[in-house]
Amino acid sequence: MSFLTVENIVKDFGGLVANNNVSFTIEEGEIIGLIGPNGAGKTTLFNCIVGYHRPDSGKVTFRGKDITGMKPFATNREGIGRTFQIMKVTTGMTVLENVMVGAFCRTNDRNTARGKALEVLNDLALDGVKDYYINELPIAIQRKVGLARTLATKPVLLMLDEVASGLNPKEIEDVVELLRRLNNTKKITLFLIEHIMEMVMKVSQRVIVLDYGEKIAEGLPADIVRNENVIKAYLGEKYAQGL
Amino acid sequence: MEKLKDALDFSDFSKAERIGLIIFSVFLLVFPWLGTGSFAKTVMIQFLLFSLFGMGWNTIGGYGGQVELGKAQYVGIGAYTVALMMVWWKIPFWISMPAGILIAIGYSFAIGYPLFRLKGHYFAIATICTSLVLKDIFDNWSLVGAAKGVELPIHEHPDFVYMQFKSDTYYYFFIMALFYIGLFYMNWFRKSKLGYQLRMIKDDEDAAESLGIDIRWCKIKAYSIASAFVAVGGGFMAVYNLYIDPASTMELSLSIKIALMAMLGGAASLWGPIIGAAFLVPLDRFLGSWLGGQKGLTGIDFMIYAALIMIVSAYQPRGIWGIIEQFRKRGR
Ligand SMILES: Nc1ncnc2c1ncn2[C@@H]1O[C@H](COP(=O)(O)OP(=O)(O)O)[C@@H](O)[C@H]1O
Ligand SMILES: [Mg+2]
Repeated sequence: MSFLTVENIVKDFGGLVANNNVSFTIEEGEIIGLIGPNGAGKTTLFNCIVGYHRPDSGKVTFRGKDITGMKPFATNREGIGRTFQIMKVTTGMTVLENVMVGAFCRTNDRNTARGKALEVLNDLALDGVKDYYINELPIAIQRKVGLARTLATKPVLLMLDEVASGLNPKEIEDVVELLRRLNNTKKITLFLIEHIMEMVMKVSQRVIVLDYGEKIAEGLPADIVRNENVIKAYLGEKYAQGL
Repeated sequence: MEKLKDALDFSDFSKAERIGLIIFSVFLLVFPWLGTGSFAKTVMIQFLLFSLFGMGWNTIGGYGGQVELGKAQYVGIGAYTVALMMVWWKIPFWISMPAGILIAIGYSFAIGYPLFRLKGHYFAIATICTSLVLKDIFDNWSLVGAAKGVELPIHEHPDFVYMQFKSDTYYYFFIMALFYIGLFYMNWFRKSKLGYQLRMIKDDEDAAESLGIDIRWCKIKAYSIASAFVAVGGGFMAVYNLYIDPASTMELSLSIKIALMAMLGGAASLWGPIIGAAFLVPLDRFLGSWLGGQKGLTGIDFMIYAALIMIVSAYQPRGIWGIIEQFRKRGR
């Protein structure tokens, strides 16, 4: 039994087939990258797994349980955390309060939630900004806050949608470091959509490639960059030669 | 125990706010002896009553960010339960008022369940509609007095069983007690799990859902808390006015006033509804007595309210309290 099994997912937006018969599995403890050109259906696939969309057909099984069509709050309670490609810049709650909301997922007590939130903030080196509002922070920190509040829900599978986009090389380095640490010490399985090839190739153990809603390749990063279909669809000859 | 501590703990407010609360409380306590006359006392009772309504609205409307414009139906439910139980079966206030709360909660779950399938403007309009339908039913239902309403039998002596008094001072202290229960409850509520979750829902529904929050269920819970608050106020109105009818308890204008007071004072703030009521109740009285006598001018008060809403939402969506906080931030 696999940790996460995705079978024949189809999502049709009225003629536009964003996911066409996508299947794959993820094992516990893995770091899996999901790549593909813009509009390939990566975010849609995430949404079908965590329940923002109900797939037209297909099945999602998480730790032996059929979670197809479950609501996002329910899949979160099952242990799946996800971050958003575009994080809404909000003004109503401080960083600490945001992360506390995540922690409230596992407790009813405010002091417990606060303690847990502070722990996560401390772990991500965010304690310095805990009293700021999201809109007062630079984008790299905003993304980290998005990650922190998701981590506070104690996910065992973490799905990250372009967590490194908009960051500079140094910041990307930090994120890579952080993801490896979460995977190593916290034993969190990672499933990440990424645009920045260097990052995906560096951090992922296995890569899945989507193009026009279909899975066109899956394999080790080193094999993926040499895969004919992938090069045609996405990478371009130059990149492959450069490696 | 922990909850009670949270309810009575104002320590996360600034010193100025805490001193303000103490001065305000002392003022409320000594007010009946200031010799201001009966008109001022009536206004004060209205002020406390509307503060209570506004605090209730603030749960779903302020913290939850859902534009709710149908609170009057719960005023009606609270008021009619108290009045009818007394008239029909001589049931004491202390039983009929909790019964009114229970009916309001049950009703709020029943209509909240479909209502919260809707979002934004659709939700706002649907809340107005449900309230109007209930008013229409009561307007035509002869068993409950139809449009003529219900008159409560008058008791000559102070009566703590049916909560009937000749002197307004009794009512004043009674509504003041309810006001403080409401205030302490809200002080707990804003720090509760539900309070945090509602604020997240208001900020970003998708993110809230990804953090394990059952959005619809949270909204329904907050909506029923709001309804319970308002039903208490409705019960009070029945014994205070000794006469209720659909027009005075379930009119759309009442729903709008409740929401407007909280928004004007400052939605999602503990003080907002109180500030809003302190501002709008006297204004309402003034406009009522000034314009009431002049033919053709009824309705102008609503134009003034509409203008206020527009000014607030354009200048500072967080109301008067938002403006105060802005200045305090600048001062720092
Ligand atoms: N809610 C939606 N309704 C209709 N079309 C959508 C919706 N979400 C995504 N799409 C379309 O589905 C396709 C895949 O989008 P998306 O999954 O966001 O791609 P990616 O994340 O790989 O860039 C795009 O053509 C997009 O326009
Ligand atoms: Mg995307």
